[in-house]
Amino acid sequence: MLKYTIKRLLALIPVLIGVSILVFLILHLTPGDPALIMLGPKATKPALEALRHQLGLDLPLYKQYFQWIANILKGDWGRSIQLKREVLPLVLTRFKATAILTVFAAFVAVTFGLLAGIVSATKQYSLWDRLLMFLALVGFCLPVFWLGLVLQVFFGLKLGWLPVSGMSPPGQAGLGSVFKFLILPGFSLAVGTMAEIARMTRSSMLEVIRQDYIRTARAKGLTERVVTYSHALRNALIPVVTVVGMQIGFLLSGAVLVEIIFAWPGIGSLMVNGILARDFPLVQGTILFVATIYVFVNLVVDLIYALLDPRISYN
Amino acid sequence: MNSVRKLSVLLILGLALLIIAGCGGEAVDKADTIIIGLEAEPVTLDPAQMTDFNSSRAGMEIYDSLLRFKDGSTELEPCLATDWEASEDGLEYTFTLREGVTFHDGTPFNAEAVKFNFERQLDPEHPYHDTGEFGYADFTLGMVEEVVVVDEGTVKIVLSEPFAPFLGNIAMHAAAIVSPAAIEQYGKDISINPVGTGPYKFVSWDPGVEVILEKNEDCWRGAPEVDRLIFRPIVEDQTRLTELESGNVDFIVGIPPDDLQRLKDEDKLLIVEQPSMHTWYLSLNCQKPPFDDKLVRQAANYAINKKAIVDDILKGTGVLAKNLLPPLIWGYTDDVQDYSYDPDKARALLKEAGYEEGEIEFDFHVPKSGSGMQQPVTMAEAIQADLEAVGFKVTIKQLEWGTFLDEAVKPVETNEFLMHELSWLGDNGDPDNFLYILLSGEQWPEAGFNDAFYKNDRVDQLLNEARTVSDHDRRVELYEEAQKLIADDSPVIVVDHEIQIVAMDKRIKGFELHPTGVFRFDKVTIE
Repeated sequence: MLKYTIKRLLALIPVLIGVSILVFLILHLTPGDPALIMLGPKATKPALEALRHQLGLDLPLYKQYFQWIANILKGDWGRSIQLKREVLPLVLTRFKATAILTVFAAFVAVTFGLLAGIVSATKQYSLWDRLLMFLALVGFCLPVFWLGLVLQVFFGLKLGWLPVSGMSPPGQAGLGSVFKFLILPGFSLAVGTMAEIARMTRSSMLEVIRQDYIRTARAKGLTERVVTYSHALRNALIPVVTVVGMQIGFLLSGAVLVEIIFAWPGIGSLMVNGILARDFPLVQGTILFVATIYVFVNLVVDLIYALLDPRISYN
Repeated sequence: MNSVRKLSVLLILGLALLIIAGCGGEAVDKADTIIIGLEAEPVTLDPAQMTDFNSSRAGMEIYDSLLRFKDGSTELEPCLATDWEASEDGLEYTFTLREGVTFHDGTPFNAEAVKFNFERQLDPEHPYHDTGEFGYADFTLGMVEEVVVVDEGTVKIVLSEPFAPFLGNIAMHAAAIVSPAAIEQYGKDISINPVGTGPYKFVSWDPGVEVILEKNEDCWRGAPEVDRLIFRPIVEDQTRLTELESGNVDFIVGIPPDDLQRLKDEDKLLIVEQPSMHTWYLSLNCQKPPFDDKLVRQAANYAINKKAIVDDILKGTGVLAKNLLPPLIWGYTDDVQDYSYDPDKARALLKEAGYEEGEIEFDFHVPKSGSGMQQPVTMAEAIQADLEAVGFKVTIKQLEWGTFLDEAVKPVETNEFLMHELSWLGDNGDPDNFLYILLSGEQWPEAGFNDAFYKNDRVDQLLNEARTVSDHDRRVELYEEAQKLIADDSPVIVVDHEIQIVAMDKRIKGFELHPTGVFRFDKVTIE
């Protein structure tokens, strides 16, 4: 297992190099000049040239790439062209907000999704099953921006129970009251994933419940609860874990919309603004960071398989 | 099964509890704080580096300039300079500085500070030149040759050539005075640690969350009434509206036209409007067919129902334009060729130019969004329909803003735009800022921003004279003549001047919008 983990960690290096080249090329080959976008149409030609020089944009592409990589390795992620701040601290601060949102959404999605899936499977074709699967279908189809705005108007404006947007009360930045700010964006983000997990759990459970060893377990006289939770669920969870792992990637990227709608100070809105402004150092740094996180999440998911199913081993 | 039920009940109970726990009251004292919802995050609070509204709106209350625009107009009044004098030849400006003014960090404001600020932007050899990117330096102060410290309280600015709009430039944000000691202390991070002499001083900036300013008790203009200003970036329009309506935010910008009437009908809200120095127009490439023919340009101008666009699409968020120069800038005249909607005349002009119906086919380039672009796509669709109705064949090509700008400022040889949308926002209140920059033959890209590639020798002569003579009446005459010639040539089709609109809680009293679009909270009170 340790050997496998180390091997996977080493495999991370070529993946990240690939990501870095890809990101760098896509950004630099997209039309649009960061100096022009930043200065706007009122910039004079000498001002534009001076700025391009200052930002190193007048160097050949390969030189810019190697310079960027060399600096990253030295721990210097560069300075955002648009926001005029160091990239690394900015990405770390903003990622913290995204992580809080994503972890909360994943928690909500997994808890309720699993619960709904188990109930549906154990009570197949009952009223509960039909109701839950109908809700899952609806949840899966709801556009997140629509849901977000409706939740804001209903819980924020009409009922006044929850804050409409942001992550803390104005003037009191910090995590002290983050929870009430988290509920609406967290649910908006979780709904789609929750629905997917519910449907996945249901079908996976149904498949497992019909297998011989479950019949054996029942024949041994085990209670239904032990059969469902100790024997069936554990095996049914494997495809679910795969989905959850993939969904965390989706949540990280899906967070972009939710972050914009709820003015959540996360990495997604940072990245979108960065792309629009062709803020190369910022976008490159952000994507590299998110890619690293995503690869790690995948590794963790693979390791969880082995914990869940003794038949899977990495030795 | 029991345990599943138990678990679900527990979870639902827990969640309900958390929601209830979440419903605490807000701790911000609303009596002395104004929370402002901006359209996006400011990018810098260093005035020399500002190029966008979100930055200047959140940051300009921290600073003063030597001169400032009067409330509600672009006329100048003393600010950090109490008096100023121009030499006969228009090359030297001597400013007498206000005594006893200190920056928020306690250091004194003096002639050295002025010299430091201007040279920091202009002189590549200046030790603090690398503390920022000064996109507007060339535009605002490019004509400055030398800044001379006469004595502690007097500074003389020498220009390389006479430049009539100079004093207006001195009131612009790029000429605002930052504490030299702070620049020395923070270096590049002056952008996030701003220090000026203005009515509000900087407290904190939490990226993506808020910028907080508090009142400067020792402000030389007198301390403002409101203790704190909090600027929150809320990108999504509907969220910003909901925040205002729910009372979590006191003041917002960027109201979608469709929601304006509803907000006006709300009792607890106040809508403040003010025309701005903005013009939305179509640029026609005067060097390439079909728009190298004046008759075709005029035909297109008559074909477009600008009034319908203003009434039905902009819904009162813009006023119908007749001239590239906005009416609130001095020198404006509406005694120019009128291009009110007249499709029959458009058809006749096309025939006169020798074109059959459907013979002229071109791509119309449109940005998907962009600063000051209002509703670029919807407006483009209306324009396309109008042009097609008189026999043009028009294909709309949508581009993302960055890509669009890149194309728009290509030199004439490689520029492929024949017709495109654009908007312009004046910032020093001088006609030169519109007419010379957008339509002088010397300002073709990449030298400037005449991306209609318009050239009329007489107009060039008028605009050049007007930017060098200092006699105001003479300048008005010159600009009036130029505007008439330009309107007749129709290198651009002007559609509207945007109205700045902000919505705020009625408790906020005394807020006035400024034509430059920067917010002034120094005289505002909260009831």
